[in-house]
Amino acid sequence: MTHYRIWNWLFLISFLALLAFLPGLIPEFSLNVVITMLIYSLFAIAFNILFGQAGLLSFGHAAYFGTGAYTSILVYKHFGLSLFPGILAGGVFSVLLGVIFGVFVVRLSGMPFALLSLAFNMLIYAVAEKWRTFTGGEDGIAMQRPDLFIPGFGSIDMFPTVNFYYFVLIIVVLCIAYCWWFTKTPLGRINVCIRENEERAGFVGYNTYTTKLLVYLVCAFFCGVAGALASSFDEFVSTSMINMVKSGDILITTFVGGLGIFWGPIAGVCFLTYLNDTLSSFTKHWVLIQGAIFIAVVMYAPDGISGLLLRIKNRLFDRFKIEKG
Amino acid sequence: MDYISILPIQILHGLVYGMLLFLLASGLTLIFGMMGVLNFAHGALYMIGAYFSFSVLLWTGQFWLSLIIAPVLVALVGLLIERVFLRKVHVYGHVAELLVTFGIAFILEDVVMILWGSEPLKIEIPAILAGSLSMFGDTYPTYRLFILVVSLLVFVFLSLILTKTRAGIIVRAAVDNKEMVGALGFNVPLIFLLLFGVGAWLAGLAGVIGGPYLMTHPGMGAVILVDLFVVVVLGGLGSIRGALLAAILIGEIQSFGVLFLPQFALFFQYLLLAAVLILKPEGLLGEKT
Repeated sequence: MTHYRIWNWLFLISFLALLAFLPGLIPEFSLNVVITMLIYSLFAIAFNILFGQAGLLSFGHAAYFGTGAYTSILVYKHFGLSLFPGILAGGVFSVLLGVIFGVFVVRLSGMPFALLSLAFNMLIYAVAEKWRTFTGGEDGIAMQRPDLFIPGFGSIDMFPTVNFYYFVLIIVVLCIAYCWWFTKTPLGRINVCIRENEERAGFVGYNTYTTKLLVYLVCAFFCGVAGALASSFDEFVSTSMINMVKSGDILITTFVGGLGIFWGPIAGVCFLTYLNDTLSSFTKHWVLIQGAIFIAVVMYAPDGISGLLLRIKNRLFDRFKIEKG
Repeated sequence: MDYISILPIQILHGLVYGMLLFLLASGLTLIFGMMGVLNFAHGALYMIGAYFSFSVLLWTGQFWLSLIIAPVLVALVGLLIERVFLRKVHVYGHVAELLVTFGIAFILEDVVMILWGSEPLKIEIPAILAGSLSMFGDTYPTYRLFILVVSLLVFVFLSLILTKTRAGIIVRAAVDNKEMVGALGFNVPLIFLLLFGVGAWLAGLAGVIGGPYLMTHPGMGAVILVDLFVVVVLGGLGSIRGALLAAILIGEIQSFGVLFLPQFALFFQYLLLAAVLILKPEGLLGEKT
């Protein structure tokens, strides 16, 4: 067992080292794609905690992603905050919204949960689209991202892509590390228990309502942070960040990556972002190919890409063991 | 503006759009209620219905012929989707099915763009329906009344079939408890297949009559899908009467919302949906499961 652990840690560390040296290795254009991948990895991992671990399928998580995106742009614009407080505000406002919606949503589970979360997503979308004076409606708001101000150090210019890349990398790695730790905490474990049998978890004495609400809020926070990073990266926010298509995207990405596996969504994000990027540059009909790939994944790799990779790894490893034995 | 005099026309506007929504929702609510498949391809089936009717109209010049042929073609596509894809992924759960229908919707939309182009098409309506009738001291396009009549006929027939015939009773029983129906010796997969076919047929019919009324373009299915979803959930899964009630409600909210509070129409619609889901998660006329 420890043998596997060492390999896992080695893999993780070399992966992080690769990310740290990446700006020197690839052109700036590709770096933009990697930043997108990082941001959506956080979004998908947060979503997967709620769905994969707590078993709560939400059709409306763009509500939190979008709230984070709008909040950060609006606080840059109206309060002139610097980068980090703006990102934090995105997460905090998403949690506040999560409290309002979560109180109702968390009472449900299964399909009613999914539908009510979608209804709330639509509600917040309607606000973003119609409250033009505040949100800019469909035209959105453009706002240059501010500098990063560190007390006692001074400010760092965030305009160069490389600087922003390191900022995103640090935030995303810290957030994902917290998410990973969260799944190992007693609270995270109780969620698995509730997923398997909510009634029994309640009889054992756990407060299932509060537990579900807490995990819902943790998820909302990280979705909000991801949204804030995304709008700061694009220097633009519009209703496309808060609409139902975004909610669908993240569900698809998570599924393609692999539902039950913590790292799965990252595989999904990298695969689909790369695919979109390459396909859209050489064929007009990439939507068709994308549709075909979704169907192929569901039919032939229902555990997603990471499930497929794990199966291949296990098979290789088993053979290795047999040869050794 | 004199609100009283335009009231009947405004109600009629809402009713026409609502009835078109009902036509789409009736098929989807049975599919969703019974199979649990939130069929995102339903909007795409509606869209190809409109395109099929355009082509049939182009070749034969007969609107009435396209009204018969196009929905049948869409139903065949629906049967193919169920048999080839959905049945296989049923064991992997709701999300897998959802993803497959997403994929199918993408593919259909792109294929339509390849075959018919992405420009909006104009579908000619027959001369007999092209005029307008005078009513309530105003004139109203005959074609919209035609939509109303067709949708009402579908509602009446569907209700009669579901409540009075043996096949309908089996379908309703399967919506309630498909394991039990299967255990009683009925071929549930076959019922699923036929139900999906009927749902696709209804979507195709809605496409044929909705194409000239709304616009025929590749994104038309995606546009109507949100309203469609609202209607199905609001009405209650598997309930035809609920779908009718919700469809008319949504049609009227949009019709009057545009008139009085254009800023809030969308908001009210979703607020209503959220409120109903909070207070009565099974929908207005849905049954508790």
